[in-house]
Amino acid sequence: MIYVSQLINQYVWDGYGGKIGRLEDILVNGTDKNLPPIVALVLKKNPLGVEIIPANQIASLWPSMTLKVGVDRIKPFHANGHELPLIDRVLDQQIVDTEGKRLVRVNDLQIARAGELFVLTGVDVSGAGLLRRLGLEKLGRFFVSTFSRSAKTAVIPWEFVASIEHDDPLRLSVAQNKLVKMPPADIAAIVDELDRQTYTALLEGFDNQVLADTLEESSPELQMSILSNMPPERAADILEEMDPDEAADLLADLPEQTSEALLELMEHDDAQEVRALLNYPEDTAGGIMTTEFAYVPEDLTAGQALDYLRNSEDAQDDEGMHYVHILDHNRCLRGVVTLRDLVMADPHSDLQQWVIAEESTVEPLTPQEDVAYLIAKYDLASIPVIDPETNVMLGIVTVDDAIDIVLPTAWKKRLPRLF
Amino acid sequence: MKKKFETPLWLKKIGIYLAVLGPGLITASADNDAPGIATYSMAGSIYKYKFLFIIMAVTIGEVVIQEIAARMGVVTGKGTADLIRERFGVKITALAMFSLLLANLGTTVAQIAGVAASGELFGVPRYISAPIAAVLVSLTVLRGSYKHIEKILLALSLVAISYIITVFMMKPNWGEVLRATFIPQFEMEPHFILAVLATIGATITPWGIFFMQSSVADKGLSLKDYPFTKFDVTFGAAWGNVVSAFVVISTAVTLYVAGIPVETAEDAAKALAPLAGNAASLLFSAGLLGASLLALSVLPLSTTYAFCEAFGFERGLNRRVSEAPAFYGIFAGIIVLSVLIVLIPGIPLFPIMWLSQTLNAFFLPILLYLVIKLSSSEKLMGSWKNTRLQNILAGGLTVFISLITVALFVAMFWNPAT
Repeated sequence: MIYVSQLINQYVWDGYGGKIGRLEDILVNGTDKNLPPIVALVLKKNPLGVEIIPANQIASLWPSMTLKVGVDRIKPFHANGHELPLIDRVLDQQIVDTEGKRLVRVNDLQIARAGELFVLTGVDVSGAGLLRRLGLEKLGRFFVSTFSRSAKTAVIPWEFVASIEHDDPLRLSVAQNKLVKMPPADIAAIVDELDRQTYTALLEGFDNQVLADTLEESSPELQMSILSNMPPERAADILEEMDPDEAADLLADLPEQTSEALLELMEHDDAQEVRALLNYPEDTAGGIMTTEFAYVPEDLTAGQALDYLRNSEDAQDDEGMHYVHILDHNRCLRGVVTLRDLVMADPHSDLQQWVIAEESTVEPLTPQEDVAYLIAKYDLASIPVIDPETNVMLGIVTVDDAIDIVLPTAWKKRLPRLF
Repeated sequence: MKKKFETPLWLKKIGIYLAVLGPGLITASADNDAPGIATYSMAGSIYKYKFLFIIMAVTIGEVVIQEIAARMGVVTGKGTADLIRERFGVKITALAMFSLLLANLGTTVAQIAGVAASGELFGVPRYISAPIAAVLVSLTVLRGSYKHIEKILLALSLVAISYIITVFMMKPNWGEVLRATFIPQFEMEPHFILAVLATIGATITPWGIFFMQSSVADKGLSLKDYPFTKFDVTFGAAWGNVVSAFVVISTAVTLYVAGIPVETAEDAAKALAPLAGNAASLLFSAGLLGASLLALSVLPLSTTYAFCEAFGFERGLNRRVSEAPAFYGIFAGIIVLSVLIVLIPGIPLFPIMWLSQTLNAFFLPILLYLVIKLSSSEKLMGSWKNTRLQNILAGGLTVFISLITVALFVAMFWNPAT
């Protein structure tokens, strides 16, 4: 295993043992591959005037960098414009570990021989790597043996590395492809740690659904920052993709003119839903509920109910369907059936017989702590919100929002980086 | 839909300014913390107005450097430590970070000494005040309650205004003051040179540069708001140093003329006697305490963050101790070590307060060199890189400080008595 830190600034020798010059950088190609091959060595200014050496002329890199041929037989290098200089652009920069789901700094780079080629195998983010860069390798090995817990996460294979640079579109798109495979909550956590230039460039390439999911998990500051740097039409599209309660929370924090403008740009139905939610105080059931829930009309059998759901657009929107609500023609709640019971039931049985006997409900102005209490007490996955005067069902509060009341999401505890 | 009140443009601009306000004014207020007040009152009482020129010269330097730090923050969106690591590699980062750590350790010691000194003005022994202050500050900071206390502490630091009032009450010879401000007078004597270095170090602090850039980067300020940021920096630096100058003048007219060189906090408090009479100690102590606690809430934590960021250690107050051992370890280390140093039996508090600032000045040239290199790089800053004038001023400042450091060693060699 060869480390780039061992090669920086070392001499490159030609096939006859003559010194050529010191190493300035290493170029690799194909950063979208799992093992990008080294394509060239870049040398510092030297009296022989050799600048770049193609990789196929390298005989060995360690313990010394020697070529196969004499200095007069070095062939020219033909760049294709997509090479990545490792020392200038990857070493010491921040990268995303998509497997460990964290943002880390590159301390060293690992290279290995693969037949005729040399390839980049991974990135060293460990303390041992740091010490190696400082020339304190022995101390580094002592660390590895003492704190061996961190050794296994020390070198990240290149396939899990998303290397982001805001002004390098090719690497950006490779990084985006790797990042979107991560859960949105993890993407949001990483985006939160990036600087504004980088995350703006990164998020621009995300499609709207992924971006909406990521924003839902982000801190309010990040949400506002991202939305305000985006053309209003796209911002409106993103808001449509988000859950209405999340969209309402976000819009509530924006200045009134801005949120009005965005609501105008949204599709009428989606905007109406969000506006309805904006009417309620933030810390009540109305403020945290979502209007997307699955429902069926009265007097159906279990089988008919399932058909109805499959054809219902509202059911399509209900992403975390746990219960099915039976509503009459006035949209008043007549009963709640768990999805489990519905699926397991005899299709010809009357749906009414599966209704939960004791069902709890809350009102829009019920304080959020009381809602969380009921959800916890009765082990519910969601609780219906009923208008006290008309008995119309307005929405549901889901268990994840209840947890947020009791246990703040990770970002809430984070202090500004200026400290 | 009711028509909304259209805020007039000038009101909007003030609003934007208030939102942007912060880094410049805070950093500058911190100039008048315990080490600062100690340095300036000592200088005024021993050397009368000679230090006014130095303060004036250093103000120019501070404005230039802080503006560069702010600009780098706005353009790159990253902190100084990040940039140093990304552009210069690990070895230089290690040099810069350890310099920062040592300088900040010195200043933290000075802040705790300030707390201890203000306590002793009321008979509270340092063995009680120092550890209690350290524990309280740590708990406040670690639990994120800093924001609540910030206002109180900032209010306490307004005590510095009492120096201005005192000066006007004493009616100094303004002609002499102005002459001293613009005509340099220098003594090749080790104590004088140490005081000069301390003045420089108390005004342009290494941590101030990091703090400025990180705050600006974190606020997500955009380039179009930059004129406001620039104003905040300039105004903050100017205001902070005006206060410093008044501290010098106030001790000059009260203590220098009475032949009392300031050697302890008690001496320094006497400068406020014309204004506050017997309550001078109380007034002085309140200001000292407030400024020290404010700085203690900010400095150790920001040092720890910068250090961990540069080396990629896990960091953040939302992590558990087991997840971020380096982060909590360094923070605890700075505080504990500082308290221990202050509690060394017989150690004189007042000299610590101002001598620690010379450490800042020692390490400043290294940092300034790196900052100048970063901010004049077209690759990094694009069209926002330094102008030639800025490079000349900043480079001149770096050379100036280095020369003074050399002068110190020369003077010590010629005057081994001191």
